[in-house]
Amino acid sequence: MAVIGDTLAARAPAAVFAAIGPGRQAGTERLFARRDMRRASTPRDASILLVAGDIPSEASEALARVHDQIPPPRATVQWQGEDPDRIVARVMETLKDLRVSATGEENRLPDAPPNEWKGIGPHGQGGKGMMGGTPYGRPMAMTGPDIRDGLQLDRYSARIGPFAPMLPPGLTLEVTLQGDVICDVSIDSPPFAQPADADAPDLCLARVLRLLGLDRAADRVLGGKRPGALWVQGAISRGLGRIDGTDMRDRVAAWRKGEAAPLGPFDLPRLLIGAEWSEAMLILASLPPSALIRAARAPEAA
Amino acid sequence: MVTFAVILGWTALAVLFAIALSPSATASAPQAMPFLGGGSAETHAWQRFHFRPYTMSLLFIAFEMEMMFMYPWAVVFVSEGIKALAEMGMFLAILSVGILYGWREGIFRWQ
Repeated sequence: MAVIGDTLAARAPAAVFAAIGPGRQAGTERLFARRDMRRASTPRDASILLVAGDIPSEASEALARVHDQIPPPRATVQWQGEDPDRIVARVMETLKDLRVSATGEENRLPDAPPNEWKGIGPHGQGGKGMMGGTPYGRPMAMTGPDIRDGLQLDRYSARIGPFAPMLPPGLTLEVTLQGDVICDVSIDSPPFAQPADADAPDLCLARVLRLLGLDRAADRVLGGKRPGALWVQGAISRGLGRIDGTDMRDRVAAWRKGEAAPLGPFDLPRLLIGAEWSEAMLILASLPPSALIRAARAPEAA
Repeated sequence: MVTFAVILGWTALAVLFAIALSPSATASAPQAMPFLGGGSAETHAWQRFHFRPYTMSLLFIAFEMEMMFMYPWAVVFVSEGIKALAEMGMFLAILSVGILYGWREGIFRWQ
């Protein structure tokens, strides 16, 4: 077993969950194009939390929650703009330490449910039917008319972000879902400010490819290769995220040619409401970070 | 005696397997929460939503059940004769009610 642990496991790419701060999006995304690094899509999959840049104080509770969701033993690596080779070496070193010592960092948040269990019955079993009670401080979902066919279905609302890997770093959305259909969206906090290098066509294209599950292709794009036009276009349905007559296919085609895809102002919630979850995430990935930041800040200024 | 030993043996194996696979109860409260990228849920995750392909699965099960019973029926049909024919007729009539219901719900409309 020790032999397996020392050789095979040590050679596998390190699964790292990345929490990206202001100005660090481009650097972090290029870091994960390396062969020896793998960006974990959930904390469950990772043992190392990479904190890139300075996380603003309003996101520190979310960072603590993500940290606690990484199964122990776990460790945090801070990245303040050092050379990528050095940060990879530090990640590998930390991973080796974890494997040897098996004592990681402690929880940052208290190990207690957000609220006590509260119910009406003698065993705290709730109120009437499926809609009663507030198990652990969270009420059961209540019904509302479905936006597609008017059936009365449960509405699930949650705050998603700021470190959700499919959203741009910093963006927190308050989403109300019925099944996987988004029926209401509001912006809790806009994405962290990023310099113009996050808008580079190859990064934008790689982001879309990663979301489509084509990790190797995304790595090749960041390595300077262009993917075939046919299968990238075929993976994206027509008319998705249409703004000023250009849809996601057009924007991806422009990025594939190495051109930027300029966008006029748009209303972000209006673009997402009515879309299924997977479509909404594709739409978000098809918008360059600078345009997203402008769109998310517009309602705040108004 | 052998049957008894086999049953007991398999039960013991299943219990051992379940114990070996059971998750350790060490998940902390933050780990028991759904992962929302650092966000938190407002409502409980238990919810009713529209299972949209349900009419398709209705149609699938109707035809699948039909085929499942038609194979053994075909084997005994010659020896049983008219009685088997009547029984299968009743069975298919019941199944076709489900198909008619699905028709009314619009399964056969191609979108």
